[in-house]
Amino acid sequence: MSRVRNSSKIIVSLKRVIGILGKNNKLKIGSSIFLALLVIGYISPFINRLRLGDKRPDALAVGRRWEQPSIKFPLGTDDYGRDIFGMLLIGTMYSLSIGLLAGAIATLIAVTIGFISGYKGGITDHVLRTFTDTLMVVPLWPIYMVIATYTRKLPLETVAILLGIFSWPGAARVIRAQVLSLRERAFVKLAKLNMLNDLEIVFTELLPNVAPYIVIGFINSAMGAIFAETGLRLIGIGPPLLPTLGYLLSITIGVGMLSVRPYVVAAVVAVLSLIFVSLNLINIGLEEEFNPRLKKVTGL
Amino acid sequence: MKPLQKYLLKRVAAYIVTLYGAVTAVFFLFRLIPGNPIEAFIGQIMATQFTQAELARKLVEQYKAEFGLEGDLFTQYVNYMRQLLRGNFGVSLYGFPRSAQELIFQSLPWTIGLLGLSAVISWFFGVVLGALTAWKRESKVGAVLAGLAVVFSQIPYYIIAVTLVLVFSYMLGWLPATGAYNPSLSPGLNIQFILSVIKYGLLPALSLVLTQAFGWFLSTRYLTISLLGEDFLVYAEAKGIKQSRLFRRYVFRNILLPQTTGLGISLGFMIGGQIVLETIFAYPGMGYLFSRALGMLDYNLISGILILQSFVVLTANLILDLVYPLIDPRVKYHE
Repeated sequence: MSRVRNSSKIIVSLKRVIGILGKNNKLKIGSSIFLALLVIGYISPFINRLRLGDKRPDALAVGRRWEQPSIKFPLGTDDYGRDIFGMLLIGTMYSLSIGLLAGAIATLIAVTIGFISGYKGGITDHVLRTFTDTLMVVPLWPIYMVIATYTRKLPLETVAILLGIFSWPGAARVIRAQVLSLRERAFVKLAKLNMLNDLEIVFTELLPNVAPYIVIGFINSAMGAIFAETGLRLIGIGPPLLPTLGYLLSITIGVGMLSVRPYVVAAVVAVLSLIFVSLNLINIGLEEEFNPRLKKVTGL
Repeated sequence: MKPLQKYLLKRVAAYIVTLYGAVTAVFFLFRLIPGNPIEAFIGQIMATQFTQAELARKLVEQYKAEFGLEGDLFTQYVNYMRQLLRGNFGVSLYGFPRSAQELIFQSLPWTIGLLGLSAVISWFFGVVLGALTAWKRESKVGAVLAGLAVVFSQIPYYIIAVTLVLVFSYMLGWLPATGAYNPSLSPGLNIQFILSVIKYGLLPALSLVLTQAFGWFLSTRYLTISLLGEDFLVYAEAKGIKQSRLFRRYVFRNILLPQTTGLGISLGFMIGGQIVLETIFAYPGMGYLFSRALGMLDYNLISGILILQSFVVLTANLILDLVYPLIDPRVKYHE
C-alpha cells in the first residue's frame, strides 16, 4: 500500500522536475551544458582509443615533441609529445568525477548532520551547530596543501573523499534551517499524531520538501571541490598521476604555451569556465524555482 | 551581574579559549607530519663543511636549541608558548638566520595592499550598484549586471587571472605577468616605485575584483529586493518621504549592516594571503611565503603564519560581536 503511494509520489515529483526544467531558462541552459560536458567527459576514453589506439593521451611521446595542431592532434602536443586534446577530454572526466564524488560525500554528511541537528534540536543541535560553524572558519587551503604535499600518489577516490570531508558545512547549515522550519508545520504535526515514527517522518514528510536544497548543497559542494582541486593543481600541488583539468592547465602554462600557443591555454580555460558557469546556472535556477523572491534578483 | 557585563565576559572568555585551542592545534598538527627538516638541513651543511663527528653533534644541539626543537614534544610546546607570549615566532628555516616574524612582516604589506584594496573596492562597487539597481527595479543596467554576475561570480579567480595574463600580458603586452614591482627600481616612497607597484598589481587585483564585486552585487541585490516589500517602507512612502531620502535612510542603512559584517569577516581571512593567486603572479605576499615555508617544512614560519591568521580572524569576529549591538539597536546582548 505504502509502496504504491511512494512510487506514484516519485512519478509526480519526476514530472514536476521535468516541468520546471522546461520552464526555467537558467536551468535549461545550465543543465544542457553540464550534460554535454558529462557525456563528452565520460565517452572520452572511447574517443581517445579511436584516435590514438592503445596509447593514453598523457603517455610520453604519443606524438613527436611540440607537434603543430593537426587532424590527429587538434591542439598539438607538448614538450614531452603528450596529446593535449586527448588530455583535455579525459581531464574533463577526471575533474567532473572528483566534483561529483566529493559532492556526494559532502552531501551525505550534510544531510545526516543537518537533519539530526534540525529535527532533534536541543543540546544535540547546539553541539552539531558549534562543530559546523567551527569547521566553516577553519582555513582549508593550508590543510589541503599539507595533505597534498605530504601524501603523494593519491588515487582519485581518496582525493575526492578528502575534499568531500571538508566541504559539507555550508550545505548542512541550509538543510538544518529548512528542517527546523518544516518541523513546526501542520503536516509534520499531523504525521506525529498518526503515530508515524521519526524515521518515517524524516523520509516521507521532510526529505521530499528539503530535496531542492539538498541538490543545491550538492552542486555547491561539487563546485567547491573542483575549485580547490583545480587551484591546487594549478600551482603544482597534488598527485602527479591524476590528469585533471587543473593539472593540464598547470603543465600547459609551465611549458610556456601562454606565449607560444595561447589558444591551447584558452581552450582549457574555456572548458573549466563552462563547468563552473553551467553548475552555477543550475543552482541559481533551482533557487529561483523554490524561493520565488529570488526570481526578481536575477530574473532575466 | 548585568546582562551586558555577563555577555562581555562570556564572549571574551570564549575568544581566549578558541585562540588557545587554535594555537595548540596548529603547533601539534604540523609537528606530527613525518619528516625531519632540521636534520636534513644540518646534514646538508655537514656534508659540505664539517667532517668531524664531535663537531657535528655539537652543531646539531646548537641548531635544535635555536629552532626550539629540544626535548620531547611537550617541552617544545611549553617553550614555544613561552616564546609566543613574548611575540616571538622563532627562527625561520626558509629565511635562516632571520626570524619567522621578520619574514612575515616583510610579506604582510604586500598581501594587505593587494587583497585589502581589492576587497574594499569590490565591496564598494558591489554593494552600491547592487542596492541602487535593485531600488530602481525597472532599470536595464540592473538586469544586464545581474546576468553578468550569474556568469562571473562563480568562475574561480585563478581562471580569471590566467585569462587576464593571457590577454593583457602575452597578447597585448600592456602589463607585466609576474612580480610586484619593477626589479630594477629600489623600493622606496617615490613616484616611480609607487607607479610600478600599481602597474604590477593591476592584473592580480582585477582578477579578485571581477569575481568578488559580482558576488557582493548579487547578495546586496537579494537583500534589497527582500526589503522592498516591508511594511515600514510602505508606511514611510505613504508619509510622503522623498525617494532619495527613502533610499538612503530606510533601504541603504539596512543593507549596510549585514554587508559591513561580511566585509569585516572577509578582511580578517585576507591575512593568510591568496596562495594560488600569489603563486600565479609570484607576488611576495603571505600566501607565497606560506607555500615556500610548507615546501621546506619550516615549522616556525608555517605556525607563525597560521597563528597570526587565526588571531586576526578571531579578533575581527570578537570586535564585530562587541560593536554590532552599538550599530544595530535591535540586537540584544543576551541570547
